[in-house]
Amino acid sequence: MAVDSASSNSTGPVRMSRRDTTRAQGIRRFKWAVLAPFLGVMGFILVPALLLQAYFSLFQFSIFDAGDNDSFMAYFEASEWVGLDLYEAVFTDSAFGAAIIRSLAFAIGSTVGCFVIGFALALLMYRPFRGQGIYYVFFIIPMLTVPIVIAYTGEMVFYQAGPLNDIASRLLGRPVELQLLYDQQTALFTVMLMEIWNWTPFSFIILMAGLSALPKEPQEAAMILGANKWRIFWEVQLPLLRPVILLALILRFLEAMAEFPKTWGLLQGGPGSASETIPIYIFINAWQFFDISYGAALSYVVLLMMVAIVLSAIWLLRREKTSLDAMYAAKPQEG
Amino acid sequence: MKTISWANFSRREIMKTGAAMAATGAMTSAFPGSAFAAAEDDRIVAAAKKAVPNATEVTGILWSNYQRAMQPVIEDFGKLTGITMPKIQDISTFDIPQRAMAEALSKSPEFDFFHLDANMIPSLASAGLLEPLDDYMEAAGFKINAVGDYARFLTYKGKTYGVTTDGNVHIQFIRNDLFGNADERKAYADKNGKELAWPETWEDDLAAMKHFNRPEKEIWGSANLRDRGSSMAWFYMYLYSAGGFPFDDDANPTIDNDAGIYAVQTYLDVKQVSHPEAAGWGTPQMIPRIVNGNAYSCQYWDGIAALAENPAKSKTAGQWLYGPVPGSKHSGKLLKRSVSTPNVAVVVNRHSPRKEAMAYMAMYFGTSANSATIVGDPVNTFHDPWHVDHFKPGSLPEKTYTPGGMKAIQQNMTIVTPPIYLTGLLEFETELKRNISEAYNGGKTAKQVVADTQDAWAKAARRIGKRRLKEEMATYKSLMPKNDLPV
Repeated sequence: MAVDSASSNSTGPVRMSRRDTTRAQGIRRFKWAVLAPFLGVMGFILVPALLLQAYFSLFQFSIFDAGDNDSFMAYFEASEWVGLDLYEAVFTDSAFGAAIIRSLAFAIGSTVGCFVIGFALALLMYRPFRGQGIYYVFFIIPMLTVPIVIAYTGEMVFYQAGPLNDIASRLLGRPVELQLLYDQQTALFTVMLMEIWNWTPFSFIILMAGLSALPKEPQEAAMILGANKWRIFWEVQLPLLRPVILLALILRFLEAMAEFPKTWGLLQGGPGSASETIPIYIFINAWQFFDISYGAALSYVVLLMMVAIVLSAIWLLRREKTSLDAMYAAKPQEG
Repeated sequence: MKTISWANFSRREIMKTGAAMAATGAMTSAFPGSAFAAAEDDRIVAAAKKAVPNATEVTGILWSNYQRAMQPVIEDFGKLTGITMPKIQDISTFDIPQRAMAEALSKSPEFDFFHLDANMIPSLASAGLLEPLDDYMEAAGFKINAVGDYARFLTYKGKTYGVTTDGNVHIQFIRNDLFGNADERKAYADKNGKELAWPETWEDDLAAMKHFNRPEKEIWGSANLRDRGSSMAWFYMYLYSAGGFPFDDDANPTIDNDAGIYAVQTYLDVKQVSHPEAAGWGTPQMIPRIVNGNAYSCQYWDGIAALAENPAKSKTAGQWLYGPVPGSKHSGKLLKRSVSTPNVAVVVNRHSPRKEAMAYMAMYFGTSANSATIVGDPVNTFHDPWHVDHFKPGSLPEKTYTPGGMKAIQQNMTIVTPPIYLTGLLEFETELKRNISEAYNGGKTAKQVVADTQDAWAKAARRIGKRRLKEEMATYKSLMPKNDLPV
């Protein structure tokens, strides 16, 4: 079934009546009235934090140079102007480069994993059936589990003499001695597995809500026209669900880029530096080395990177929404 | 081994008994320290009551595993002075240094004390967090009466900043049921061309560990830690015993040399006799393996002797030999070096309005009698011997640690070294841990480890301030033992 998206533009701009204009202005004012307090609070917290961070990324600060002075102003006095030196150091820091690659690999892998399993579960669950609620609760339990608890549970499950290898050995009838945690090649992948277990419910919930909210008419129309289930899924449901899928992927990706508690709780960046992702690397620099200035410069670079990713994501989402709006507004072609 | 129950006696009862005996002059030869001990405690109590007349509640960061053995002393001090500790922030000792640094950054008065590795004293004092205790000690007539130079491990630029509760030196553990077995000894001699003896060098130790490495029987040659978090202790022993030292007098790092490579290589060589997952195992995983008999030997914190000899908690009680750690002839002469990290002590927050009360409580932990109560707890064996009186025959710690264990602790204390006793310990160690851990997992050679670490340390030293580090270097060097071998 084809849809003429171009037809949505055929109606042209509609001139608003005075009443409509007043109403639109009222809605806009109401939105700002609701948003203003939140924006105010965010600005109050965020702006000083960003300014301080910017300051200390341009001025090298050492906690050891301000120790004897009880005033917080001592921190400013003990800071030395270094300009963009720290940013230059960030961009030439090979360990940071490796951390970015690990974070991207971790985020992409876990996002895809969460999406595939979450989508499969959502497809199984979105039509009401008896006992659906019980399954629903069962499926979202991982998301409600505290990540640091997952880390320690993972340690018990994945260590060499743990239950995972034991069960595998019994099933295969030969010893299975996988070293999932303490091998440099597999450590991050193991954390990724736990991340997928932890956050699949998130993708599941979003996708299930999206599937449940899909308009029935196009699906019924396709069915009447003789499309099979696979074709309906592929040509009707999936295109309609695209913005929701994109939202689920983007939110999950952003969350995975910031993953800290499981990785730290389980591996502290090791073995070697195999699990030193961006958050771990910044944490080590800022809170183990107490190199607050370098930590600030690293954070700013990561902030800009994430802003770029978020803006791209918003652009993609808008494009999908526009495309979907056009699809809804379009008239189906004859035949 | 006899199970010791301390529950039938209250600490005050013992103190009173000691004081009474001292007063009447009875059995003074058998209990020479009792009268002094009581007087020492009384002086602190009197000074505390004078300085802090009102009831005061103190709080701090303390791992509950450590708190349990300290609790009787805390309660006692509360009854005598009105200075109580109703709650603590319970964090693992290994995580407290970092938290304390964060408190230093915020100049927060929230916590009155931190119970942490005294090797953090240079960093924390430089960051302005610590209250010097010398004036309080003088007011109470208190002295830290530790074995050898151990009390100096609590000082920075001539001032005392902490009171130890846990001596923590590494000692050598060897399974006597294997080491003393006649067939095993013959097999070892036949294979190696020399008798199996107490290891004098790391190479001797490795040869014996190889001989007894039997994974098929769930026995590994070594139970030394090799995880990223806590493995530094071994590196220090290897480096110092090879005649190496991490910095020169100008605060330039000096590990990219033969001694450094030797230390890293010795560290890596133990992999062949370690459990495959040792790279990820800290004490929670390794201690059960030691006491359950899954290892032939190790260098380990001395507190494990108390656990290993407790038949209620150990499958290997009575099967251990204790002694000096091995050493190295790398420098041309045999040098043995043990290490104390963490040397767990109470330090007081300079920003706390209750710092005076806390300083007196800290001293109370460190008296002869109270430290014996804390260290001698037969169940909660986190605090290890350090006070001169702990090593007297018949002391409570001796009953908990066995005479053999105490002798080994005392021997190793005569060759004990600190980790990098400089501002920036966390930073220096984190870089080394990262590199050595990568090497252990096959990502780097020993040479690369020392080269990369040296570069990172040079940068860190510049950032921390070379002038500061040079000033501290004399103190660091003065903590190194004068003896080549244990006495």
